[in-house]
Formats: sequence, C-alpha cells, structure tokens
Amino acid sequence: MEPTKEVSPDLSAFLASAVHDMKNSMGILINFLETNLPELAPEAQKKAAPMLYEVKRVNDNLIQMLAIYKIGNRFYPFDLAENSIGEFVREVAEQNKKLLEYSGITLEVDFDEELAWHFDYELISGVICHALNNAMHYTQNKLRLSVKEDNGELVIRVEDNGGGYPASVLEAGNAVGKGVDFASGSTGLGLYFSSMVAKLHKNCGKTGSISLENGGKYGGSCFILRLP
Amino acid sequence: MYIPSNTSSLFVGKKFLIIDDFQGMRSLLREMLKSFGTREIDTVTNGKEAIAFLEKNKYDVVLCDYNLGSGKNGQHILEEAKYRELVSLATVWIMITAEKTADLVVGAAEYMPDDYIIKPVNEATMRSRLEKALAKKEILVDIAKAARDKDYDRTLALCDKALASSKTNTTELQRIKTGTLLSMGRYDRAQQEFEQILAKRDVPWAKTGLGKTYFYKGELEKAQQIFRDIINENPAFLEAHDWLAQTYEKAGDLEEAQRALVRCTELSPNSVIRQRNLGEIAHKCGDLETAENAFRKTIKLGQFSIHKTPAAYLGLAKICSENDTPGEALQILKDVHKEFENAETSLHAKVLEGMVYKKAGDRINSEKVSKEVASLVKADNGHHSASIMLDAAQLFLATGNKEAAENIAQTLVKNNHENTQLLAQVNDLYSQAGMSAMGEAIVNKSRQEVIAINDRGVIMAKEGKLEEAMRLLGEARTLLPDNKRIMINLANMAVMSMRQNGKSSDLQQIADECLKQVAQLDPQEKWCAQFQIALDAIPD
Repeated sequence: MEPTKEVSPDLSAFLASAVHDMKNSMGILINFLETNLPELAPEAQKKAAPMLYEVKRVNDNLIQMLAIYKIGNRFYPFDLAENSIGEFVREVAEQNKKLLEYSGITLEVDFDEELAWHFDYELISGVICHALNNAMHYTQNKLRLSVKEDNGELVIRVEDNGGGYPASVLEAGNAVGKGVDFASGSTGLGLYFSSMVAKLHKNCGKTGSISLENGGKYGGSCFILRLP
Repeated sequence: MYIPSNTSSLFVGKKFLIIDDFQGMRSLLREMLKSFGTREIDTVTNGKEAIAFLEKNKYDVVLCDYNLGSGKNGQHILEEAKYRELVSLATVWIMITAEKTADLVVGAAEYMPDDYIIKPVNEATMRSRLEKALAKKEILVDIAKAARDKDYDRTLALCDKALASSKTNTTELQRIKTGTLLSMGRYDRAQQEFEQILAKRDVPWAKTGLGKTYFYKGELEKAQQIFRDIINENPAFLEAHDWLAQTYEKAGDLEEAQRALVRCTELSPNSVIRQRNLGEIAHKCGDLETAENAFRKTIKLGQFSIHKTPAAYLGLAKICSENDTPGEALQILKDVHKEFENAETSLHAKVLEGMVYKKAGDRINSEKVSKEVASLVKADNGHHSASIMLDAAQLFLATGNKEAAENIAQTLVKNNHENTQLLAQVNDLYSQAGMSAMGEAIVNKSRQEVIAINDRGVIMAKEGKLEEAMRLLGEARTLLPDNKRIMINLANMAVMSMRQNGKSSDLQQIADECLKQVAQLDPQEKWCAQFQIALDAIPD
C-alpha cells in the first residue's frame, strides 16, 4: 500500500486557534476562582491566592501570544480610540482587586480625572495588567499606578516597594526598546509584547516606548509606558 | 481603594435584553444587571427569538453574544435591528465576544455596536461600559435624531454646541459633524475640519474622512494615496480597504479594486456586502473563479442577513451559464423567484433565463422568453433599473428582437444621458451584436433630444419664464422618470419660483419628490444636499 501523503498543516494558524481555545478555558477558570475563593476561610484564601495569580499569568501570556500573532499577520484590528483615563484606571484596578486583596497588597492610584487619551484599550490594558501582575511578584506590600500627561505624552508608571529589578532585567528592558531580537531569548515575552504594543502607538511622527528603572515613589522597580 | 460611584439611577427603569445561547452566561449577565439595580430583563437564546422580542418590545440596552452557534450571529441581529429600526437611536447595543474582530472595531459605522466587551466578562467592566454608553446616549440622542432626519443645519449646530460645552465625546461629535458636512456636499469645509483634527492627532477615521473628501471631489489619486497610507500604518483598518476598492473602481482600475476587496473579505469574511462587491468586481474583471466563490459565499451568508441580495444569485447564474452549466444556472434563477418575492427581481431573473437558453443553444426557449420579457417591459413603460434594462437589451439583440432592443436602449439613454459609463455600455452591447453604427446612432440621437429639452427649459428659466420652463421639464419628467438632470433642474426652478412668489404646496411637493428620487438614484449626488438646504431656507 502506498503511504498516504499528509498535507503539511498551517502550524501557526493551528497554534493560534489552540491558544484561543486555551484562553477561553482560562477565562472560565478565573471566573470560577474569583467566585469561589471568597467562600473559603481567610487562611485558606491566602493559601489559594497564588493559584489565581498563576492562572492569570497564563491567561496574560496567552492573550499576548494571540495579539503578537495577529499583529504579525496584519490581522489585528488596532482600535485607536479616545479613552477616559479615569475609566481606564478604575477598570484596571477593579480587575486586579480580588487578587490584590488575597495577597495583602495595596494599590495606590494617581491620575487626572479629566484626562482623555488615544490608545487601543485592550492592548494597553493588557500591558498594564501584565506589569501589575509582575510587580505583585516582586513587591513587599504596595503598588502604585500613576497616569499623567507629561510634555505631550501620556506616561503610565507601575511602581512597587520591593527590592527593584536586578541588573539583568534592567538591561533587557533597555535593550528591547532598541530592537533586540526576541528569538535570541534575551528578553521575556511580556517585555516584547509591551514594546510591540508601545510601538504600534504613533502620532505626528512620535512613537510609544517602554522603559524599566529602579526608584520611583517607593524606591522599588518601575515599569514606564509612554504614549504619544 | 476604588468604590463604585452611586450611578444606579442610570440603570433604574431601563429595559434590558440579553441574547446568549449559553444558560450559564445568561444567568451570569442577569445577576450582574440585577446587582446594578435593573429590574426589567428579558433573555433569549438565538437570533430568531431575539428578532421576535425586538419587534414586540422597546429596549434601552441590548447585551448580545456575538457567536450564537448556528443561525444568525450577533452582527446579523444588530444589522437587522438597525436596518428595520427595531432599535431606536437611543438604544445601547453592547456586543460580547470571545475575540476582537475587524467588523466589531473598524467596520461599517452604521452597523457598529456602541461598545464591545471581550470575554471573560467581569462585573466591573460591564458596569463601567454600561454607564459610559448610557451617559453618552443621553448626550447624543438629539444629535442622532437630527442626523437621521437629515436636518443638517440643526445637526451641525447641536454638534458645535456640545463640542464647546463638554470635553467628553469629542471624537464622536467630530465624526458626526464631519459626516454631516460630507452629506451636505460641503467638501472644502469637511476637508478643513479633517486637517485640523489630523494636525493634533493622527487618527485613522479622520484620515479616511480626508480621503473621502478627495474621492468626492474627484481627486482620485490623492484619495488612493491616503487610503494606502492608512493601510500601511494600520493594516486591519477595514474602512480604508473599502474606500480604496471604491476609489480604484471609480478610476476604472478594476484589478486593483479586486485586490483591495480580496483583502477586505479576508479581514471581514462574514460580510454579505463585501462578498457581493468582490463577486461583482471579479466578474467584471473576468476572474470567474473568484467571482463564483464570492457569490456562493454571499448567498450562504445572506441566509441569515438582512443584506441578502438578489445580485449574488443573478451573478452566479450568469457565471454558471458562462461556464456551460446551464442546468445549475436555471435552478438558481428558479430559486430567485422563491427567495425574493419581488416583481423587479423576478423580471431580471427571467431576462437571464433567456440568456442562459441562448448560450446553451436552445433557440426556441430563448426566443420565447425574449418575447415574454419584451411585452412585460412594454407594459411597464420601461421603468426599470438600468442593470435589468441593459441585460434585457442584450437578450433582445441576441434573439433578433431589434425593435424591443431599440426601445429599451432609447429609454436607457434618455433617462441617463449624462452617465458616460452607461452610454458606453449601451454602445458595447450593439458592437458585440455587430451593430456598432446603429448603437452609436441611437445613443447620440436620444442624448441630443434630452439635452435640447433641458437647454430649452434652462433658457426659459433664465428669461424669467419659470412657469413655462417647469411645464416643459415636468412633461419631460413624466416621460423620463429617472433622468437626474431634469429632476435637479426642476427642483431648482421650484426653489427659484418660491423665492420670488413665496411658498406653495404644489411646488414644494415637486421639489421634494425630485430631490428624494435623485438621492435614491444616486446617493452621492451633491446637488441634492445643496438644493435641500435652499429649500429648507424658504420661509413659510
């Protein structure tokens, strides 16, 4: 019998659809945890909180992979719309509220209620939630999200009161903005995604960017996103 | 810590409809809405039920899942509800979706939801999006009403007032304002507005608007350049692809238009209208394979859509005939009579039936159908759409029915004497039948006749004999009910006469009818908007 010839599948499309499916499952899992954790005793809640944290991390990563795939294939419906900063900050804070509570971390927000800015809501909210999630891992007990206009740019800062980024991460953070190849493995998916999203935001000859530094109000690590 | 502000007054007394095929999701949404203070909530599980509920009730907010399994999807329901005015301008429509798609985000403005929420849905997002959308509707509902009623001056005034008094909704207001200027044919003003917006913020909708002004002004190369720039920067921006295709088509570059439409349908694979456009352009380009595929998709998608269109059936029948599968062509044409209970469409199907027989070499049947069509057309005084008339003329010529062909060609030319594209098509039909000299003679003679009447009318009007001029053009209009130039001149004369002698209900009616019909024949006719403004300015 002749061996049947297999048509080589479109692997990237297959992966994208698998990621999509996994993302939906993660969504259900997150909903389940957020609904059921409050019913546990406080001690058990604290023990279970890392589970929610990890599930959210996986979810973030899947969302990022999907977005990177779509942007790369020129299919991402980039939605440059005017958004109220007040609404944006409140929504981001609310999305992370439960996890912060379980983990005993307080989030301070600082923003201009009147401010509105043009950006793709889903992408920027993805970047900031990811940055908050990261910071939760490194902080002692405080996070700060500040959104201000500075010199014609929107500056979003995520700061914590932990020990700050190690030198290797700072280096990677500075390199990603200068076009270092993701495939070389020198930067994480999160940084790559954040930088890609920042660069999609352009206005009148200026382009968005990200940077990492240590310091800020609490002297810990700071993730900074600038949008023109 | 963030404490939700007490805005439950926005929710109280509002009527909600939830459309979702999953029981779990329906109860989740219902519980959320209840916790916001809502009491009146209906839930349905599919498109059919949704339409039935929308027909019976007036809702303030519709929460609709995009993917509803088989049958209509969320976008189909939204389009049908808007098209049939089952929802009012004040209704908030929020689409809930697993995936952000180009249709939802950058699709056709008139069929876009007010907002979309990407799953998983959480209470905080739902609440804040609903509050935002409801507050926005309250501010914009008067403006939306004025815009729908085509009360342009009022729309502009309301937009300016809102822009001056509030910092929120700036983009939405600017979009309505510039859109109104385009509808009024005030392209220079619109261009100025777009350029001002773009100087501050490089947003694709405003850049697309600038491209549209160039398109309307006939500066097609500039328009093309702008649409291409937008697509370079923002590859999935659907509206720019749509307009790029239109611009290429208008410039006569059908192959580029097809390429742009192919990209459109990749980004928006479920749009009936885009698939149909692709089918028609590909057919004109002679790319039968692409055209056939696109028409088949159009028919399949149209099953659930308000945009279901006979054009796809007729186009596919033509292609099947060209591909020498007359059996399928005849079957499709039979379906047309069933699927669209409409005399005009049935007539068109009949015309094509004759052509299919002719192509298949069935002389007896083709001549029989040709005669039937000729008597139908004669009975209706030739008052049909240009595409039917062209196909009918082709059938008459192919079956040797010269007299019927000449009648129809004359009517076509006289009704469209300034439409160079159509005149060329009539000439082509005669050349293909090996009678180019005859075709040219018919086209020229008929054209001259109309021009002569029109000129006479305009001269009379200039000499101040308005009444006589209107009588002449009024008679011409009865004979040539689709001639835009005659109607525009007639409307203009009615306006002039009322300016001199005050308002008269007869003249008002003539002007209204003419403008309405011209707008129907050619939505892009810029004179319409200008005469409408002049007409509205006449004091009672």
